[in-house]
Amino acid sequence: MKSIIRKLTLTAAALTTFAAVGMAPATAAEKVVLGVAIPAATHGFTGGIVFWANQAKKDLEKANPDLKVIVKTAANAAEQANQLQDLMAVSKINALVVFPFESAALTKPVAEVHNKGVYVTVVDRGLTDTSAQDAYVSGDNTAFGKIPAEYLAKAMGGKGNLVALRGIATTLDNERWEAFTGVMKNHPDIKILDAKYANWNRDDAFKVMQDYLTRFKQIDAVWAADDDMAVGVLKAIDQSKRTDIKIVFGGAGAKGMIKTLMDGKDPRIVANVSYSPKFMYDSIKLTAEARLKGEKLPATYIIPSELITRENASKFYFPDSPF
Amino acid sequence: MSLAVDFRSVTKNFGLVEVLHGVSFSLEPGKVVGLLGENGAGKSTLVKILSGYEQASDGDFTINGVPHRFANSREAEREGVVLIHQEFNLAEDLTIAQNIFLGHEKQKGLFLDDRSMNAAAKAAMQRIGLEADPETKVRRLIVAEKQLVEIAKAVSRNARLLVMDEPTATLTPTETERLFALIAQLKAEGVTIIYISHKLEEVERVTDEIVVLRDGNFVARAPTAETTRQQMANLMVGRDVSDMFPPKDVPPAAEPMFKASGVSVPGWAKDVSFEIRPGEILGFAGLVGAGRTELFEGLLGLRPRSAGRIEIDGQVVDLRSPRQGVRHGIAYLSEDRKGKGLHVKLGLRENLTLLTLERYAHPLLDPKAERVALREKVEEFGIRTGDLNNRAGSLSGGNQQKLALAKFLHADPKIIVLDEPTRGVDVGAKRDIYFLIQRLAREGRGVVVISSELVELIGLCHRVVVMRAGKVQATLNADQLTEEELIAHATGTH
Amino acid sequence: MPPVPTDATTSTLANSPAASLATSQGSRLAQRLQDLGPLLGLILLCIAGWVLNPDFATAANVLNVLTRTAFIGIIAVGMTFVIIAGGIDLSVGSMAALIAGAMILLMNAIGTAIESAYLVVTLGIVFALLLGALFGLAHGLLITKGRIEPFIVTLGTLGIFRAYLTYFANGGAITLDNAVSDVYSPVYYGSLLGLPIPIWVFLLTALIGGLVLNRTRYGRYVQAIGSNEQVARYAAVEVDRIKMLTYVVLGICVGIATVLYVPRLGSASPTTGLLWELEAIASVIVGGTALKGGEGRISGTVIGAILLSVISNILNLTSIISVYLNAAVQGIVIIIVAFLQRSRR
Repeated sequence: MKSIIRKLTLTAAALTTFAAVGMAPATAAEKVVLGVAIPAATHGFTGGIVFWANQAKKDLEKANPDLKVIVKTAANAAEQANQLQDLMAVSKINALVVFPFESAALTKPVAEVHNKGVYVTVVDRGLTDTSAQDAYVSGDNTAFGKIPAEYLAKAMGGKGNLVALRGIATTLDNERWEAFTGVMKNHPDIKILDAKYANWNRDDAFKVMQDYLTRFKQIDAVWAADDDMAVGVLKAIDQSKRTDIKIVFGGAGAKGMIKTLMDGKDPRIVANVSYSPKFMYDSIKLTAEARLKGEKLPATYIIPSELITRENASKFYFPDSPF
Repeated sequence: MSLAVDFRSVTKNFGLVEVLHGVSFSLEPGKVVGLLGENGAGKSTLVKILSGYEQASDGDFTINGVPHRFANSREAEREGVVLIHQEFNLAEDLTIAQNIFLGHEKQKGLFLDDRSMNAAAKAAMQRIGLEADPETKVRRLIVAEKQLVEIAKAVSRNARLLVMDEPTATLTPTETERLFALIAQLKAEGVTIIYISHKLEEVERVTDEIVVLRDGNFVARAPTAETTRQQMANLMVGRDVSDMFPPKDVPPAAEPMFKASGVSVPGWAKDVSFEIRPGEILGFAGLVGAGRTELFEGLLGLRPRSAGRIEIDGQVVDLRSPRQGVRHGIAYLSEDRKGKGLHVKLGLRENLTLLTLERYAHPLLDPKAERVALREKVEEFGIRTGDLNNRAGSLSGGNQQKLALAKFLHADPKIIVLDEPTRGVDVGAKRDIYFLIQRLAREGRGVVVISSELVELIGLCHRVVVMRAGKVQATLNADQLTEEELIAHATGTH
Repeated sequence: MPPVPTDATTSTLANSPAASLATSQGSRLAQRLQDLGPLLGLILLCIAGWVLNPDFATAANVLNVLTRTAFIGIIAVGMTFVIIAGGIDLSVGSMAALIAGAMILLMNAIGTAIESAYLVVTLGIVFALLLGALFGLAHGLLITKGRIEPFIVTLGTLGIFRAYLTYFANGGAITLDNAVSDVYSPVYYGSLLGLPIPIWVFLLTALIGGLVLNRTRYGRYVQAIGSNEQVARYAAVEVDRIKMLTYVVLGICVGIATVLYVPRLGSASPTTGLLWELEAIASVIVGGTALKGGEGRISGTVIGAILLSVISNILNLTSIISVYLNAAVQGIVIIIVAFLQRSRR
């Protein structure tokens, strides 16, 4: 009896050794190590990005044993560049999904990764040199400015006073702003009283809006350009007890704002435009699945920004997301 | 070549205030001249003008017949005129060598030549007898060593005219002797020396002639050999001053109020025992580095103490912080007035009441009561200040010391430890402080005087503890006190 | 500036009473002008604001600005103590964010169990103040007992506090439940005798701060330590304890500011309190406190804080300068005011 057990153990050990030696190269060849480099969660939107990236890691690793996803968050462009090097040198990734902190600054580091034969999917902010990427997945910044402009122009009946808030001076913000003003050019009776930066920040938006209210006696609509900023704007209007503002248009479809819209709790919140950080989830999923099968993604994939109204709001409501 | 200087009605104003009223006199080349005067007589201002730190408002001076006006000390140094500061102008975080060459660094190509600077510094240090590694940070030196670094710095600049402002205030007798030897050597090399000191016996020893200033005016010039100390003092003060020290009282015979036994302060003091009786003035003598200051800092918990027992009025007490010291009636006035004794940037009032704020807090502080107290103390201690709202730093050295004394005495301590109480203080103020010490003792307090001026210890104390290398070498009674005896014990040659 | 006498020359002055009287009067006049520097700057700025946009001088705008200033101002009052004692605290913005988040989480959690929303808010406020004091104590202990430079300690906690908030918020926002929010919101939006509550709290904090700094033993010791720590130690001041307490005072001030901040938006997010540390430190220094410690005034700090928020208010109320240059204008004004009150060197 004893000897049988011993024999079995031996066999098992031998098998394991064999398996380890024989199988290892095969597994490594098929295994996809996917690096994800994204900005750290410093405000609602990037918070959503981080959330969806981790969600994708959880779901995909569970479904695919041959997949390993490594998520790195960076507080600035330099840190992100370092992380790319680490992902390559230490984690030995063979696929990368990167949300560049800045387009220009990250182009070179991403190209280096690409040149080493890593499959690269760039998300949201395009590189200045597109040859460094295999695929590009992005939200639609032009629509992000155009849709609210068209909606507001219609809702205001083509005339009235409007104030706008801007985010942080970046190409992203500029694209949205140009799209917005481009539409407004067709509506000369709508006056854009001013547009100040509020850094996609609730507190700064509160202060800027307070000062708009001091300065302008008649405001019909506010383009807050972001749901975080819309929170500050609404609080400032509430405090001033002003009733002239009919519409506050946020943007990006944050959970709280979509809920308000769905429930019809605030008459000033009547529409929104989607720019969900969920595209991070989709990008990782698409890339991972394509690589597992050895396929490629289409070179450019724009996730359309859509107008959200009370009717279709439930489609954009993700109660588990922090954003 | 020796330098001769001729001051020609030098006048200096600070704003509306004239501190030098047309001073004229000349200095002969290659001689040692003692520049005498009370604090405020204008000595420091005059030598600062000579060495480029200040500019005369009117009048000028010639060097070897050529009129000069130095815009800064560099220009003066180029002519060979170097001032050794009374207050230290050393960068504490630099090394001795770096300080000596500060502003005159030697370079090898683009880079500093540390090796040759260290070697040159070492040579200069040896000349004045400073035993230390030139790469030691100045912060780690004790006050006397810093003074020696200042002197080394000046000597290394190849001075032809050297001004020494109270160079021995912090030096021990041995170091002072070495300085005097250096002065003789420099004189032999033809260097002209201006020697400022309150210690008249030193002036008598090293100078060839004296020049006396009083209240911004030139008063007298005389060969040293023909002038007695008493005459010098009278010229400075403008009236007759005798009896520097109060008459000694009979040594008290009461039971000791304070007993320290077997106290050790790591690195500084080993197994030190002594006692203080009420009404007694107990001196502590010793060379710099003998551990006197550190012993008392250790006793008060300002430094770690490794062993020892302290009894106050027969009760064993645990002193771990100055706060506890004050609570037990002990106050310690540091030798380092600006570094540890007074807040020079704060007002007189804030300084005076710092140890006793609880008296003025009900619970809010009562500035009016503080001001009343200040007025009283200014009167009582004879602190000379124009305005009670001045900062402590605006007072002269002697008046700062009086304020520091008032501050620590304001806590009404039973035992008061005075570390170098008359350093940098002029004749008149010194006498005031000696009489104050006697008054404190007569009130039944125990007074400890740590001093490097042997005359002072001999003139004042009932008993003197002599320390050497961290240990008590001897305890001498009043009838045994002589300079020879003290030096012998302090140097271990007894 | 009168000539700055070195010590040796001063000794020359001191023996002639008339002389020193004249100098000290001169220097006191100069001193007074320097003290008025920040106020002068503020007044000039207000005139400029009023000229550029008359709405600047309306009561509503003035109250807006003062209410906004309250957070930074209250923190700056605490910061004045820390800086005068020779310390620094870089973590206050992150600390405020973490306290805000923790406080909301607590109120949401106990809100379901406790019936009275008033009690929930009261508990939340007490919790915020305690947490602030506790964070301050931790700073103080690390700095005095741990003998670590305050810059490093608080740079470390700057990251730690914000990271924990981000972690609790999952990168998003922590939002206060509505029922509690309704009861709580008057703490920011309410008024007493026509003045918004935050202004009252700001004034009260500044008054108490000024009283403590100038009229208590504690305040005197803080100044003594900052002026020269060794001298204070030799004068039997318990240096470590006093220094530690300055961080506790600041922590409590951050707690108070947070208590006022939370009802404004009813939420805390990773952007909450961003760069507040720099604004608070700038208010203190612009107000005439020396960054190296020793000297300082609460009144100056209050003016400094108001000045900083007036600058951005004016920029918002006008469109004469490109929005890209806002930060440059702020920088220039700060430097000019600092120039007006530059200290005697």
